[in-house]
Amino acid sequence: MKVTIKELTKKFGDFTAVDHVSAEFDDGKLIALLGPSGCGKTTMLNMLSGILPSTEGKIFFDDEDVTDLSADKRGVGLVFQNYALYPHMTVLENVCFPLRIRGVPKKERIEKAMKFINLVHIEDYLDRKPAELSGGQQQRVAITRALIKKPKLLLLDEPLSNLDAKLRVEMREEIRRIQKESGVTTIFVTHDQEEASSISDSIMLLKRGVQQQFGTVDDLCDNPVNLFTADFLGTPTINQVHGTWSEKGFVADGQTEIISFNVNIPTGTRLIYASRAEALKLNQDKQFEAEILEKYKVGKDTLVRLKYGNGSLRAYTEDKTIQIGDIVGVGMKDFGVFLFEAESGKRLL
Amino acid sequence: MKKKKLSLTSLITMTLLMCGAVIMIFPFLWMILSSLKTQVEVSMIPPTFLPSNFTLENYIFALKTAPFARYFLNSLLVTIACVVITMFTTILAAFAFSRLKFPGSNIIFSVLIAMMMIPFEMLIITNYTTIAKWGLMDNLIALVIPFTASIFYTYILRNFFLSIPDSLYYSAKVDGSSDWKYLWWVMVPIAKPTIITIALLNTIAAWNSFLWTVLVINSTSNRTLPFGVFAFIAEGGVRYERLMAAATIVVLPMIILFLFARKYIVSGVSKGGIKG
Repeated sequence: MKVTIKELTKKFGDFTAVDHVSAEFDDGKLIALLGPSGCGKTTMLNMLSGILPSTEGKIFFDDEDVTDLSADKRGVGLVFQNYALYPHMTVLENVCFPLRIRGVPKKERIEKAMKFINLVHIEDYLDRKPAELSGGQQQRVAITRALIKKPKLLLLDEPLSNLDAKLRVEMREEIRRIQKESGVTTIFVTHDQEEASSISDSIMLLKRGVQQQFGTVDDLCDNPVNLFTADFLGTPTINQVHGTWSEKGFVADGQTEIISFNVNIPTGTRLIYASRAEALKLNQDKQFEAEILEKYKVGKDTLVRLKYGNGSLRAYTEDKTIQIGDIVGVGMKDFGVFLFEAESGKRLL
Repeated sequence: MKKKKLSLTSLITMTLLMCGAVIMIFPFLWMILSSLKTQVEVSMIPPTFLPSNFTLENYIFALKTAPFARYFLNSLLVTIACVVITMFTTILAAFAFSRLKFPGSNIIFSVLIAMMMIPFEMLIITNYTTIAKWGLMDNLIALVIPFTASIFYTYILRNFFLSIPDSLYYSAKVDGSSDWKYLWWVMVPIAKPTIITIALLNTIAAWNSFLWTVLVINSTSNRTLPFGVFAFIAEGGVRYERLMAAATIVVLPMIILFLFARKYIVSGVSKGGIKG
């Protein structure tokens, strides 16, 4: 099912939690709502589920306007951050609950439940109570309960935040698998950019209730609209160096050399030069010089930290001979290098 | 050294608790033992502890002279009616005050809590006039109607309901549940221990209700057990061994209930706080 939101807004008194957000979420896709805490992503999820009424704007499921439809009539599946399993029911009873509400006879609902139980692999602990399950198991149960009524839309609120690091990686792949197999349009909320980029088809990045950018992971990484997006996505965090635009190019604070870019910017504009670690190359096509401060082994590659201007830059290199203290020439590849206006964060290049 | 000190304190605690237990249990024991004695032995000085020859005659007399079976049935009917209706209203009110948002809910709840300060004795006159006006005097229904809601139990249950996470409610809502189904399928089962506790406290209160019963009930056939025992003394004169037999008949069901539901009563009183 395709989900369309138009100018969706939620105000709590004077505070605007979600500010005129519009987007189209395509059928069968896995979409991440990404942003730092308090950016309105859970509020948005709650409006989609119908728990929270919206202040302004419209929500459409396919072509149907569901803005004023209450939560119990929207037919969405929702998994809470704390899973919200009913503590007095067994796993099987929890999973069957949505069908029990609909008055499906017991035999039939168990039959239906078993299909999803096999999909999610919880068949070994059907008779246990939620308190007797681990976090990962509880989450599987919660997802099964959300899927059993065949929702047109599955909403997951920080589904992985209560799990330990190893399980988190395992479960996010699991969520991807379940989503693919069931084919249900899924929207999940997360504050972890790595989680969002690893499994989602597209990401909506929010900041203080305002939509920053909505697109595929590659869009957001390679083509950020502003500094916030560039800074929020990518590991390691994007390099940032403050400086000014002179006639021909960018001059970092405390440096004299000009890094030229083919773009028209008024002279004297305060800028932030940003580049991905993987967009820099050492001792090739030199555009400026920098001193190596630190080096780390990251898998097969070496990650070095370079001193440049008043800041530092991270870069990958395969050159094993580089030592701390060396002065190296730094070149740039034709992707992953941006210029942002310092004040507004607007992208200029 | 430390261990010895610890065992000494626990010894003192145990001794004190045991004294307390003896003080609490002795009257009951004395009541039961006296009910098995003859008239002569009951008034003997020095008193005997165990009856020299057990007799069930007092019980037979009590059951013969007064219709205790009828009293028992009346008590049972009244108690069940009070408890079932009170639990129903309590659960609904607790749900409304904990979950539903309606204008003035806080004010209404505060007013109700304030009303707990009015002692029952103050209400007797107004209740009496109402019951009389409705023509329900000397009717078992009169024993039920004033006791079909309890602010105190509502307060306890509301606080428990408030401790149930909101996410369960929203989850049920998204799953298509109405408030009514959520209440009976999710909240009530989760609150079962609390509900059992207040139901037990309510049972004991209803079973022992005396003052109100004496005021509104006249005929023998409508008496409840406590009133029956009172009438038994008033009408039969003071024969302690017979009185004790009658009293035993009255408290026995409650003692049995207590033995079975001890866990809930104790946890209810210690968790819920102040009132028994």
